[in-house]
Amino acid sequence: MRRTYLGEFEEVVLLMVAILDGEGYGVTVSQALEEHTGRIVTFGTVHNTLIRLEEKGFVTSELGGGTTERGGRRKRLFRVTALGSKALQEIQQLRQELWGMIPPKIVQLSGQ
Amino acid sequence: MNSPDKTPPRWAHWLLTTLHPHETLEEVEGDLDELYMYWYDRAGRTQASLRYLLNVVSVLPPFVRRRKPSKQQDYRTTSNLHPDMIRNYLKIAFRNLKRQKVSTSINVIGLAIGLATGILIMLYVQDELSYDRYNEKADRIFRANLKLQLNGKDVGGPSLGQNAARDLKQEFPEVLKATRIRGQGGEFVSYGTTSFRQDNLLLADSSFFDVFTIPFLKGNPKRALAEPNTVVLTEETARKYFGNQDPIGKVLSFGNDKRPYRVTGVVRNVPTNSHFRFDMLATLVGHDQVIDWPGWLYSIDYQTYVLLPEHYDYKQLEAKISKLAEKQMGSEIQKWLKLTPKQFRERGDDFGVFLQPLTDIHLYSRSESSQSGNIMYVYVLTAIAAFMLLIACVNFMNLSTATAVRRSREVGVRKVLGSVKGQLQQQFLIESVLLAIVALLVGLLLVGLALPFFNQLTGKALAMSLLTNSSVAAGLVAGTVLVGLLAGSYPAFYLSSFKPVLVLKGRATARRGSFNLRSGLVVFQFFVTISLIIATVTADRQLRYMQSQKVGFDHEQVLVIHDTHMLRNNETVFRDRIIQSPQVVMGSISGQVPVGRTNMDNTTVRTKENPDQGVMTRFYFVDPEYIPTLGMRMVQGRNFSKSFPTDASGVILNETAVQALGWQKNPIGRELIGHTDDNGVNIIYRVVGVVSDFHFESLRQKIGPLAMFLGRNSGNILVKTRTDKLPEFLASLKQQWESFAPAAPFSYSFLDDRFAKVYVSEQKIEQVLTLFSSLTIFIACLGLFGLATYTAEQRTKEIGVRKVLGASVGSVVALLSKDFLKLILIALVIASPIAWWGMNQWLKEFAYKVTMDWWIFALAGLLAIGIALLTVSYQSIKAALVNPVKSLRSE
Repeated sequence: MRRTYLGEFEEVVLLMVAILDGEGYGVTVSQALEEHTGRIVTFGTVHNTLIRLEEKGFVTSELGGGTTERGGRRKRLFRVTALGSKALQEIQQLRQELWGMIPPKIVQLSGQ
Repeated sequence: MNSPDKTPPRWAHWLLTTLHPHETLEEVEGDLDELYMYWYDRAGRTQASLRYLLNVVSVLPPFVRRRKPSKQQDYRTTSNLHPDMIRNYLKIAFRNLKRQKVSTSINVIGLAIGLATGILIMLYVQDELSYDRYNEKADRIFRANLKLQLNGKDVGGPSLGQNAARDLKQEFPEVLKATRIRGQGGEFVSYGTTSFRQDNLLLADSSFFDVFTIPFLKGNPKRALAEPNTVVLTEETARKYFGNQDPIGKVLSFGNDKRPYRVTGVVRNVPTNSHFRFDMLATLVGHDQVIDWPGWLYSIDYQTYVLLPEHYDYKQLEAKISKLAEKQMGSEIQKWLKLTPKQFRERGDDFGVFLQPLTDIHLYSRSESSQSGNIMYVYVLTAIAAFMLLIACVNFMNLSTATAVRRSREVGVRKVLGSVKGQLQQQFLIESVLLAIVALLVGLLLVGLALPFFNQLTGKALAMSLLTNSSVAAGLVAGTVLVGLLAGSYPAFYLSSFKPVLVLKGRATARRGSFNLRSGLVVFQFFVTISLIIATVTADRQLRYMQSQKVGFDHEQVLVIHDTHMLRNNETVFRDRIIQSPQVVMGSISGQVPVGRTNMDNTTVRTKENPDQGVMTRFYFVDPEYIPTLGMRMVQGRNFSKSFPTDASGVILNETAVQALGWQKNPIGRELIGHTDDNGVNIIYRVVGVVSDFHFESLRQKIGPLAMFLGRNSGNILVKTRTDKLPEFLASLKQQWESFAPAAPFSYSFLDDRFAKVYVSEQKIEQVLTLFSSLTIFIACLGLFGLATYTAEQRTKEIGVRKVLGASVGSVVALLSKDFLKLILIALVIASPIAWWGMNQWLKEFAYKVTMDWWIFALAGLLAIGIALLTVSYQSIKAALVNPVKSLRSE
């Protein structure tokens, strides 16, 4: 199986796109990031990450309709692809497996 | 929420719009606006502006990641190689080709002729190079050739004496097989009561089939020629003699003693690309007398072949053979010329043996036979084919570039509509490849039509089927596509580089350099054309010169009746009977007929007073009627006569022989040693007369020494006739011949025809050159015609203005033709020295030759100019006659 490389920040952004379920675009992703993780990142970081995710095939995008609050400019809406959701699941599964392999003592320690 | 205040700082926004990649500008701008408002609501204007600025910077290069345009784009351009695009290219190409009918047909015809020539010559060259390669062991077979220089004349040849093969096999273990063949010429072969004149009868050793690969249809190759007096037939000969019967075991008889030969095998017909040919192969064993003479020079009629091991360097063996040859041949030279090999060499002569690879024999042997090839002609033809193709390509490039004016609008419009350079280039390349393929089809058609003629010209049996070989066909298509690409490349890059703005303003092609590429190409075309004209004229002159040369005897109206020895004792009776006829002036019986290689007797004669000095002399055996029949002139002394019984030991020399013997003063009555008989006694002949020099070979050779002896040497009757009713005369001769009921059919030739046949290879060259130079002229003219059309079209307005201002038709024509004439003159200047050099090389082969006069070059130049003017004048006159109102109104 081909390993899918997904950086930590990429993973978080991908998760945000998944959470936003079709409503994800630059602004909402940035806001959700801030809201749920407390991380304040520059817009450029988000923008670049979205492009990179798209290049890797984890998300697709299309230009949505323009709204007045944006001065009539269209927004690019992102959606997780099948490959993206598969990658997320794999990561999740891998983490679970790895968790299962940690001796109980350590888990407790780290859990506390 | 949406108040006018809540807009980001202008300069930061400006920064964003100017520096952010434009593909993602719209979305990023919108996102940042939204975020600005979000920040504004939460933290106020200053905070929002600060963060806005920070975030703008984060999306500027180099921080921003660019969206790859190919990945996902809203205005996706179609791939250049998308099927729809290709269909579009083809459609436009087709329409363009159809619209410009003249230049399209010029292109197609030019390229088709170029390709057809290329294919024909490729077939020819391929055939020439394939000679003898059908032998499975071709690269291991070598022929031992005689190197012999006598009296400064090269008299060596492809054969060695009878014993050479045996000695080579015995002395050198690396000689796996050695085999000999000997040409027997024609024989009358009978089977029961029927008899045929059998040409191409070869005698060979039984090892023949171990060396050469001729597949057997019947019989065993191992034993086929093992027993004496056996014979192997080719398929064709077997059918001729036996029809559908099985030939094996049947007995044929031939030779002077009508010896019986048993048929032991039938083989496939010998391939045409073989340096020897036989219809019948008989055993050498038992056919030649066994001579226990060690030398290799005695009876040098045997072509000797050796088979060497694989990867063996034949030069090594050659060195070893030379040592043996020194011994074997040296002893003979000692015996015949009374010279030691050292003395012989000191005279400036030489002898020896050299090995020649089988595959070189056809192209690298300098033999008189018109069958044999010449590597020079292979090179020349290949060069001509390459030039023709090149010229056709040049035409194409020239024409496509010339018609660029018409296409330039199209290019401009397409560029404005968003075509990229690459697309346009592809368009043009596809157009020219398409054209090349059409030309290939036309060219193949031409090849099919021309092949019978070409075969006749070259004496080959080439077939179209050679082209169906998959690799040849693939090569042909690939070559054609390549030619198309090559031809299309210049227009493609030239046309596609037009600047749309200039084009649409109509200023794209207005540049007229004093000497641009197109002029260079015209010069090149005419350089080739003029060179070929010069070559053709020279070859033609040489041929005519040779044919019109005084040959020193009268060959007109001389009939040669062949095979008269078949009449046996009745030969003289027959001769005497036919000279009774009022239509006959005189008749002579002789084996030797001048011109052509009927007899190769070259023997050394020595003067009695200086027996060490031998002169290589051709021997003719004649009767007293020979010299008057052929109208030869006696310079001194007298002809043989029946009233002088001593003439049996008399000799008539030609002037060259007299000189070679050093008898310029009073040759009559001197004595020479004709030959030495088996007991070592010298046979002495007395000179009775000197005949003026006449050409007994072709004009390629200098006249050599010749000695005529009185002798009963039958074979032909030469008849000098004086009739204009030849058919009736021939019929009556045939009737008389048949009344003697000889075994041979009546056959004859005219001395004139034999004379012409000597020049077959020159004639072929002359015909090939004529053909190719006319084709080249034609193609070059096509190109010129196209260019003239273009020039006239381009200068329509100029001509209009000139006419309004009072220019005459003549001056306009001159104006348009002047440019071309200049180019042709340049071509003439370049072509003259090169053609002069080339033709001088060719003329070196002839002992008697024409000179390269200045007028040939003038003629070639005038011819080229004349043809070019004719070609250009049509368009020029047309342009000059147009009413200027018409040409000027359009703007």
